[in-house]
Amino acid sequence: MSRARTIVSLVLPPLATVLIVILAWEGAVSFFSVPGYLLPPPSRVAAALWSDRVDLLWSTARTAGATAAGFAIAATLGVTIGSTLSFSLLLERGIYPLTLLFQMVPLVAIAPLLVIWLGNGPNTVIAASAVVAIFPVIANTVGGLRSTDPLLEELFAISGATRWQRWTRLGLPSAVPSIVTGLRIAAGLATIGAIVGEFVAGFGGDVAPLGIVITASLREFRTEKVFAAVALASLVGFALFGVVSALSTLLLRRYDASP
Amino acid sequence: MKRIIALVVAGFLAACDSGSNPRQPSSLVRVRLQLNWVPEPEFGGIYAAERAGFFKDEGLDVEIIKGGPGVAAPQLAASGQVEFAVVSGDQVLTLREAGGELVAVYASFQSDPMGVMVHEASEFRSMEELWKSDATVACETNLPFVAMLNEKFGGKNLKFVPHQGSVAQFAANPKLAQQCFVFAEPVSLELKGIKTRVFPTSASGYDPYNVVIATNAQYAREYPETVRKLARALARGWQSYLDEPGPTNERMAAANPAMKKDAMDLAASKQASLITSADTAALGLGAMTSARWTTLASQLKDLGKIKSIPTATDVFVWSSALPQ
Repeated sequence: MSRARTIVSLVLPPLATVLIVILAWEGAVSFFSVPGYLLPPPSRVAAALWSDRVDLLWSTARTAGATAAGFAIAATLGVTIGSTLSFSLLLERGIYPLTLLFQMVPLVAIAPLLVIWLGNGPNTVIAASAVVAIFPVIANTVGGLRSTDPLLEELFAISGATRWQRWTRLGLPSAVPSIVTGLRIAAGLATIGAIVGEFVAGFGGDVAPLGIVITASLREFRTEKVFAAVALASLVGFALFGVVSALSTLLLRRYDASP
Repeated sequence: MKRIIALVVAGFLAACDSGSNPRQPSSLVRVRLQLNWVPEPEFGGIYAAERAGFFKDEGLDVEIIKGGPGVAAPQLAASGQVEFAVVSGDQVLTLREAGGELVAVYASFQSDPMGVMVHEASEFRSMEELWKSDATVACETNLPFVAMLNEKFGGKNLKFVPHQGSVAQFAANPKLAQQCFVFAEPVSLELKGIKTRVFPTSASGYDPYNVVIATNAQYAREYPETVRKLARALARGWQSYLDEPGPTNERMAAANPAMKKDAMDLAASKQASLITSADTAALGLGAMTSARWTTLASQLKDLGKIKSIPTATDVFVWSSALPQ
């Protein structure tokens, strides 16, 4: 009973906020008679979602696929790079500042170059997604590994643990909460990267990915469909965030349970 | 004290200066003109009118705002955030159905300069050959000419990719076909040593007024005189650009580092034939006719881009009382 009450108290406030925003949006558009090409009311966005549901579902699937692939690359490479850097102070000092470039270089500026290097289509989209998502994973892996309890490190050293043992038994487990935070941030970024990638490299046609649906609908002044596609893109980000959060809860629970 | 004297003197001088100026800036009507692309010869007449003072002669102070890829010129004009914008003819009609009423007031080109270019070494000799192939075409998504060509030639196997707004991707990929203005990108590429073959889209029968100056319907109703003045200044600007594009190209090249003056000079000579026509000979430069607008509307309706055909005189205004 109390569990159900907790869920209700967790779900109800955001749901109520969303409902109020939607109602206010609908009311304001109609009250100020805002033309549809500037800001469509939510009812028209919903109508566009419904009338184009089959195409939009395929588009969402394509964007979700590229996002998941980009995220997987960012997660794998990010944890690997972050761990490697933490092995040696020299490596960390030499290379870590360079990884900052992933965050500093504006994706919109390098995206056209990615097209020239990797060609049009999914490769560039996945690369764009991975490029923006990788930095928080690296940073949080390095940060997590760096913040190991010094007393425990001493204990491992006294016990004569090897480097590998120190990393697998102590460093990595204590870095897990931090890495998970990095992955959660990366989930949202991977979606943004994929959409930007699609803007420059997505294939058009009948089952175009969401990024192309957005630009194509803008060209035809179908702003309601732009909103529908943006909503679905956010949904992809939310879904990935949800999966990462669920996995991390499982992982952390196990980690907490361990002595 | 010294400062006060200096201020008084400065004020006095300023007063003398404005008094001696025959054209008082405050009496000019200030309007903004949003371009939908970076300064290039397709806007030659606009910059020529500014350079030669033709806008000022009409009592207008026109601020030309540069555009680029993704700039929402039609929406800016329809919502009144700018008074005038350069848009394409089809946008006047499609935006109308989305609730934004634009009225075209000047057509810079009588024939659509749109085309698709391929590398000269490519195997494609015609638009039909290209469109029936499985080539990759970089173009803005959902352009009406694409739908028109698809209807005509199939185009099922083509791959469409986004247009980057530059020729970098095309230059790097010998297999790529890309949308272009027939006198612009191919000329820039030629000067870089890259030869192209160009297929104009107007040959497919879809030939809209592609570069039109438009305002929103309310502005056209409330300020018809300003609209007439702007059209008159533009016609004079285009005439002077046709006669001598050099000085204007210098000004535009300074505002657009991506296209050099020699490329602009070449482009200006190549576009001239698209600017004049039998209609402009009879009605003046920039002229539009109901027949052409109705044809465009019915083509867009056939392609499913609009639902109904508006009355032609609702979407454009043209006064033939222009200087020849």
